[in-house]
Amino acid sequence: MDVREKLNILSAAAKYDVSCTSSGSRRSAPPRGLGDACPAGICHTWSSDGRCISLLKILLSNACKYDCAYCANRRSNDIPRATFTPKEVIDLTLEFYRRNYIEGLFLSSAVVGSPDATMERLVKVVKELRTVHRFGGYIHLKSIPGASEKLLHEAGLYADRTSVNIEVPSERSLTYLAPEKNYASVYAPMNYFAERKIEYGGSRGRYTPNFLPAGQSTQMIVGASGETDFQILTLSAGFYRQQRLKRVYFSGYVPVNADKRLPALTTKPPLLREHRLYQADWLMRFYKFDYDEILDAKHPNLDLNLDPKAGWALRHPEFFPVDLQTADYEMILRVPGIGVKSAQLIVSSRRYCKIRLETLKKMGVVLKRAKYFIYHPDIPAGVRQFYPEMIRPLLLAPSKTQQLDLFDSTPLLLPSAPATTNSLPSVFPSTNVIPAKAGISLPKPHLLAAG
Amino acid sequence: MSLCISYDSSFDGFLSAVFEIYSQHLDVESFVPDRDTGATGDLFQQNFRVETNDESASRLRRAVVNYAGDDVLNLLYAAFLSEEPGVEMKILAYLRKLFAGDDPNFAKNVASTEMLPLYKLAYSVRHEAGGLLGMVRFSKAPGNFYVSKIDPKYDVLLLIEPHFRNRFSNENWVIYDERRKYALLHDRTGESRVVTLPDATALTDAIQSDSFTQLWQDYYKSIAIKERENPKLLRRCLPVRYWKNLTERQTVCVPAL
Ligand code: SF4
Repeated sequence: MDVREKLNILSAAAKYDVSCTSSGSRRSAPPRGLGDACPAGICHTWSSDGRCISLLKILLSNACKYDCAYCANRRSNDIPRATFTPKEVIDLTLEFYRRNYIEGLFLSSAVVGSPDATMERLVKVVKELRTVHRFGGYIHLKSIPGASEKLLHEAGLYADRTSVNIEVPSERSLTYLAPEKNYASVYAPMNYFAERKIEYGGSRGRYTPNFLPAGQSTQMIVGASGETDFQILTLSAGFYRQQRLKRVYFSGYVPVNADKRLPALTTKPPLLREHRLYQADWLMRFYKFDYDEILDAKHPNLDLNLDPKAGWALRHPEFFPVDLQTADYEMILRVPGIGVKSAQLIVSSRRYCKIRLETLKKMGVVLKRAKYFIYHPDIPAGVRQFYPEMIRPLLLAPSKTQQLDLFDSTPLLLPSAPATTNSLPSVFPSTNVIPAKAGISLPKPHLLAAG
Repeated sequence: MSLCISYDSSFDGFLSAVFEIYSQHLDVESFVPDRDTGATGDLFQQNFRVETNDESASRLRRAVVNYAGDDVLNLLYAAFLSEEPGVEMKILAYLRKLFAGDDPNFAKNVASTEMLPLYKLAYSVRHEAGGLLGMVRFSKAPGNFYVSKIDPKYDVLLLIEPHFRNRFSNENWVIYDERRKYALLHDRTGESRVVTLPDATALTDAIQSDSFTQLWQDYYKSIAIKERENPKLLRRCLPVRYWKNLTERQTVCVPAL
């Protein structure tokens, strides 16, 4: 079998791993070596499904001895099998890198022989890249559950990032779908790396290795088993806190196998749900939200019709409207429709001038959604009260970009009825609705919209 | 009578012109960079030629840094690279207000009438430069040379130079800007150089496909998940104007919208 055939098989086998980032490492090119790593990461291209391609993502082998229900490479599938030699992987990586096709290598493997034998072959490739070829680009290496600590340690010395995928968001479903796996074997490498990183992180002396500079990540399949969004977010919050993971990825389940334990082959991947989970994850990582602020036992699933930030805002009218002139940066970030860039712009320029509607427009702050949640001097005094029950329907009118990205590709996920308030589930209990006070009439929606 | 200042299109040339404007108290109406040689000036305007002068350019740089800091100088440079018609007058307006020194908060106030358009231009220029870091595609030419051509909307070649110099310091490579007809040349023994290449056919002919191009195109196709195909999202992330120089987009047929 030639390299071309192997590449086709082993890249197609790796494509369901969604992680492709190259961020988190800063390394200058080794002397007489090739390549460096920059902390922000670089996208090199986008595949036709709109995902960023940054790394050469391949399996070393797809001849798996396990039989996980959700995986295309499982033992019981009748598919072509292939295995790269270390040299083939190295040549591909170096030459792709020189042509600036990629930012580095993402190397994973099915379990061949034993976990240790598999891990050893993975480590061999990256070690050779780093030491013999002086490769300074990004390397993401998969850890194999059950591999020995000695091999994990070596992996940490040469790779920028490592990941072990938890795949199924509860242990019961995992042992049901992947009988050869359990949570303990997945958590073991994660905990090992987390501990070593703390050990090496304290003092950066001359002899402390630059151990796994870009940290760890993991992935969960969404929609293959019955877990709620709340369970998923709770689990990922735990990963961020305890194992200090850098990223948790969600992968909307694409049915690859006919298996009675899983959704039918005709099921569409739950792209909108995946998107909402990523938004929630974003709120936890960059906007300092806690997982139990986004969801709780009473609201176990994200509202597909509303992004989680708006959902939170509508359930917490007591925080709004936010005064842009005086509010903390963190609070401005919590305003739906205001992102990091706008929030920074507002905070840095309000020292010099008053933030008026004009100023915001000039700065290019998008007010389409934010206008319902902010207070500024141009709003007439009578309209300064915040009424979630009036704002919700306004936010629900789908914006144009949403239509482009999500609504088109996932028609099945949306209610077929037009988006009227009555037909949609409400995120906030009716007790939250503020009654109109005597003497003050509720502002008409168009007045708010005009703000 | 207001003047129309012609200069050699470089940032230093522009700074030299500003220096002359200050030292000779000139009243300026517009700038004509040499790249717009086709443009004819207003009959009632006087043309005034300023040659690039390193000494005056660096004095002006120092002045900007003293008044407003490095960040602002870099921002003005990035905005200048947009080559947007009239950007010189916008920078001049900002500098006049900066040097007048009436408002101590002016230098870094992004929301001011003078700064905001420059801030936005610089943002777009840097955005394109950042995107291009990943989207330059080299082909292997005889003599172990890696050759690439780009066609950016803004003049970002010099902004992306440090990145490629650090990353591929040990390789021989060329990046050619086909719109502006100049190239960045790096050989593994020395520094990078800028060369103008009015006729680059020899260079562009060297951009050929080989087995690795083929492998990369295969990889690009097999990594996509069919069930998730999303042509509109793709176009938003990867604007169509870049496709012609992207190896992986060349054999893929354009999906109809
Ligand atoms: S061990 Fe990995 S490759 Fe093997 S079947 Fe399970 S998920 Fe697939």
